[in-house]
Amino acid sequence: MKSQPPEPGPDPAAPDTAAGGTGTRVTPPPLRALAEPVRGRLAIAVGLQAVAALAGVVPFIAVSRIAERLTGESPADGDALWPLVVLACSSGLVALVCGTAAGALAHIADNDLQLALRRRLARHIGRLPLGRLTDRGTGEVKQAVQEDVSALHTLFAHTLLDVVAVLTAPVLALAYLLTVDWPLALVSVVPLLLGVFLFSRAMTGAAAQMAEFGAAVGRISVAAVEFASGIAVFKSFGRGHRAHERFVRATEGFAGFFSGWVRSTLVSSTAAILVVAPAVVLLLLSALGALFVTRDWMTGAELVPFLLLGPAVAAPMGVVGPRIQQIRAGQAAAVRITELLHAPTLPEPTDPAVPDGHHISMRGVSFTYDGRTDVLSGVDLDLAPGTVTALVGPSGSGKSTLASLLPRFHDVTAGTVTLGGVDLRDIPATELYRRVGFVLQDVRLLRASVADNIRLGRPDATDEEVERCARAARVHERITELPDGYATELGRTVTLSGGEAQRLSIARALLADAPVLVLDEATAYADPHSEALIQDALSALAAGRTLLVIAHRLSTVRSADRIVVLEDGRVTEQGGHDDLLAARGRYAALWEAQHTAGPFESDGTPHHRPATTGTGRAADDIREGSAR
Amino acid sequence: MIRQLYRVLGPEGSRPLNRLLILQSGAAVLQGVAFALLVPVLETLLGTDPDDVWPWLSAFAGCVLAYAVLQGAALSGGFTVGSTLSRVLHRRLADQALRLPLGWFTAGRTAEFSRLAGQNVIQVMSTPAHLLRPFITSLLTPATLVVATFFLDVRTALVLLVCAPVLFAVQQGSGALMRRLDLGRDAAIGESADRVLEYTRNQPVLRAFGRTAEGYGALDDALVAEARADRRLIARGLPGLVSFTFATRLVFALLLALGVSWQLDGSLTVPTLLALLVLLVRLIDSVSSAAEAGAGLRIARNTLERLGAVLDEPPFPRPAEPKTPRDASVELTGVGFRYDDGTADGDAARPVLDGVTFRLPERSMTALVGPSGAGKSTVAALIARFRDTTEGTVRIGGVDVREIAADDLAAHVSLVFQDVYLFDGSIEDNVRIAAPDAAPDELASAAALSGLDRVIAELPDGWDTRVGEAGARLSGGQRQRVSIARALLKDAPILVLDEATAALDQENEALFAEAVRTLADRKTLLVIAHRLSTVVHADQILVLEGGGITERGTHDDLVTAGGTYASFWQRRARAHGWRLEAART
Repeated sequence: MKSQPPEPGPDPAAPDTAAGGTGTRVTPPPLRALAEPVRGRLAIAVGLQAVAALAGVVPFIAVSRIAERLTGESPADGDALWPLVVLACSSGLVALVCGTAAGALAHIADNDLQLALRRRLARHIGRLPLGRLTDRGTGEVKQAVQEDVSALHTLFAHTLLDVVAVLTAPVLALAYLLTVDWPLALVSVVPLLLGVFLFSRAMTGAAAQMAEFGAAVGRISVAAVEFASGIAVFKSFGRGHRAHERFVRATEGFAGFFSGWVRSTLVSSTAAILVVAPAVVLLLLSALGALFVTRDWMTGAELVPFLLLGPAVAAPMGVVGPRIQQIRAGQAAAVRITELLHAPTLPEPTDPAVPDGHHISMRGVSFTYDGRTDVLSGVDLDLAPGTVTALVGPSGSGKSTLASLLPRFHDVTAGTVTLGGVDLRDIPATELYRRVGFVLQDVRLLRASVADNIRLGRPDATDEEVERCARAARVHERITELPDGYATELGRTVTLSGGEAQRLSIARALLADAPVLVLDEATAYADPHSEALIQDALSALAAGRTLLVIAHRLSTVRSADRIVVLEDGRVTEQGGHDDLLAARGRYAALWEAQHTAGPFESDGTPHHRPATTGTGRAADDIREGSAR
Repeated sequence: MIRQLYRVLGPEGSRPLNRLLILQSGAAVLQGVAFALLVPVLETLLGTDPDDVWPWLSAFAGCVLAYAVLQGAALSGGFTVGSTLSRVLHRRLADQALRLPLGWFTAGRTAEFSRLAGQNVIQVMSTPAHLLRPFITSLLTPATLVVATFFLDVRTALVLLVCAPVLFAVQQGSGALMRRLDLGRDAAIGESADRVLEYTRNQPVLRAFGRTAEGYGALDDALVAEARADRRLIARGLPGLVSFTFATRLVFALLLALGVSWQLDGSLTVPTLLALLVLLVRLIDSVSSAAEAGAGLRIARNTLERLGAVLDEPPFPRPAEPKTPRDASVELTGVGFRYDDGTADGDAARPVLDGVTFRLPERSMTALVGPSGAGKSTVAALIARFRDTTEGTVRIGGVDVREIAADDLAAHVSLVFQDVYLFDGSIEDNVRIAAPDAAPDELASAAALSGLDRVIAELPDGWDTRVGEAGARLSGGQRQRVSIARALLKDAPILVLDEATAALDQENEALFAEAVRTLADRKTLLVIAHRLSTVVHADQILVLEGGGITERGTHDDLVTAGGTYASFWQRRARAHGWRLEAART
């Protein structure tokens, strides 16, 4: 039996209170649709909880009957009293058993629901276009998979049952009181009504305030992540405390908003709490009761049930207040989860086809990230099996974007990309990934053992195969130096240097053994020793495959079968190294710039202190080139 | 829990908390007294002369009124202390973050810190209003009622006194059990949160290797483990939660049965029995509010403990009498460094630096080269005092960095990091953070030197381009140029470039190398680079190997000497970007 004081007014503890139900409406109502798989169990739990709530009132009724018997004309003996005592105790036990069963059932149902939802979300995320993930950041995903699913837990496993309990018990209590003395029973409803009135006044405009609260909390979270991740920058650039202004501003804005909100609702929310407080309700009932008893309108014994059950009649206020926020938060969470689940995925082929051979062909390919500026426009390109094609061009010219179309990280905006004569969009994902491998410049190792990182593309590869690839990638020796060799877990205490990580990622690509390989020239972070090893590793990897290389240094690719110069998303030149040099175009200018600015001539012999005039000229060429 | 609140609030927040505690305790005791006064009221009404009720009723009314006043003040006080809590905690966390050595911020701690400063502070700010009050009420109101029972019926009071420790023990026991289970569950939740992030961030590589949700077992394992931990919490925690409710119902049943039998044997009057039962219902109701607040209290306590732990983390010692560097030279004398815990580096036992001594003269360029893991970045971190040395001293302008005020040191040293961090905002915001009041021509010259001007020219929105979350919308090379421009705009006399150009293409790197050479006329430069092209023109080259300086001199000296540097140089000549002719043989 709950008669805890009500607590309207801001409750920041309500798990994620952002934007109460302001998301787009999806039919059927998101909350009900999400709960569908466990609806049966939840309904049983609700039934059990109602029984528990009713049984919880019975002991008080039994005590009231005892009071009635004891104060009756003929004093009651034990035979009249003990059955009531037994009834009080046993109904208490029934309440306990049913309530526990209801809670357990709801929790277990919710537990299944959580796992199912998280899995569904994860599956869906794996099919979203990458652009959607980079645009909205990883925050959205984490919010949905973790916080929002937990908000649903609060709703289904706790709030639902609390609300059932708090609505059933007072009804029975009031019904009983009406049979005892109906005028006083009506009075016992007054605090509840007054409380509801005051509470609704306190909650005026709460939806807007809650949305603002959620937004303010969101700003703090973002600012906190930024503050912590950028701490090095803030410490070294923020003279005084100016640099972490955004975090301070977010927190102060929040504190100000919260104080203002509290102040504006303080009087009515405090009054709402006090008016249903047990002591106040008891004062009202005993004062009127005293009046009634002294006037002989009722007996003293008839007052006893009111003092026992009266506070319970007013109790719903106390529980419903905070629960309203939980319900809103749950609804908002359901909306966000549903939105993510309904976000369009990369379309699966309706008419899947298997590529014939490994010839890659791009025709009229355009791509835009934001719908405004084309990163690629009208690109035609062929990669014949077993050939090496190099993409060169200034940074931002679209090299990485073009390469990312092959493993279908993005779909073209216009034009087609075909592999073995089949449009990439018609190739089932598993078929595509068997054929196209990728070594990214930004090496990503997973928090898993070294062996499992290498095995990423072929989970069933044997230890011997893993080791063979590690040797070929020149990383075997380093692995054996790790505390647990191939079983060493990466990412917690052991981290690899950039060069080592790159060699590991090459081993990974070697094991996956895809006939088409996209390589981002990956030596930028390596020291000279690593660089030599990486070269050996890449040489092993490149043998016999169709290669598309994103090159940052021209010397890397001078003997490629074809060099493609990309500028502003267009192919401006292509051909062999010698042809392009002879053409004296953009490539020739780039080549010259790289080989006069650096310490090496093209034959690799060091030469010191290049004439400043030479460097100056190269720089001018480049500026002319980009100003073209 | 109250202790933890005081701990995180610190001295400035303790006064409002004192006041709040007094108000809440007062209200709880008065509530108990008010309930107790109900007894004579009911006894009189059940007795032979109900008209005697009015004095008792007036006392009851007075007490309820006083309770209402205190409770009202306590309620508004709860909200006030709540917002004080958020204000104070956010400020203390921000200050603490700036005081802690940067070395403290490992990846895990950074994530933990942002969780604390973000959601967690918001979660605990409701503690004073929504958790503290029920907690105090559940202790003091029943205690008052037990005392009052002594005046009513000593036997009942004694029974209650015997039951109280039992109830308390049951409550504590189930609380401790739940806390233990919570910990296991927290770990599972943390793991699955990490895996979700890893899975999302690594979509490109996972897809390239055909591992979507069905294929990436680690994520599914983590999700299943989280669900299992929840199941375990339900299965094991349920008896604990039920046991307290069961115990309170048992106490009620016991006293009901005892009261009825005492009445039957004539040792308890009917009015007193009934008044006792009303009191007992109030008592159990107040005790139960503790159980209801239980889960919230546990979570709040865990969170407060984590907040307290971060706030109590010892900050960098600050100089008592700060000194100002005399010039812009840098001197390391016998510097040794090792990580004091295993969290930052795999090789905890091995010193990273050992007996490193060198000097960077004012207005000169020094290059620091060496294999990965030789400690080059550590040297940079020590100069900027992101960490303190384990042995030896770092001096700037002749003054030990530990004796230079933090702001002064920051003004002297500008560091361009290997990992560039940009915050979500425009390019201009990110550059201007170094000098918010910089004139347009200062901004322009920093942009020209760093090559950022060419990035700006290529972007449709120029300076106003939004860089996205952590700079994600820019390429690595673009980010790096923003960070170089930022460091140049700060215009500190000492500039440390730690692999600052690793992500630049060769064209831009060559241009920047040229700019660096002109900078050496004005600044003390330390350049850490793998690419020897940047290094060739340095006034002094230091080779760092195995934690110590093994060679020093100019490029020509070192090549002639035929040591490590020379072999780097030769290997470099072979490797100079991998070549595809090798690939095709």
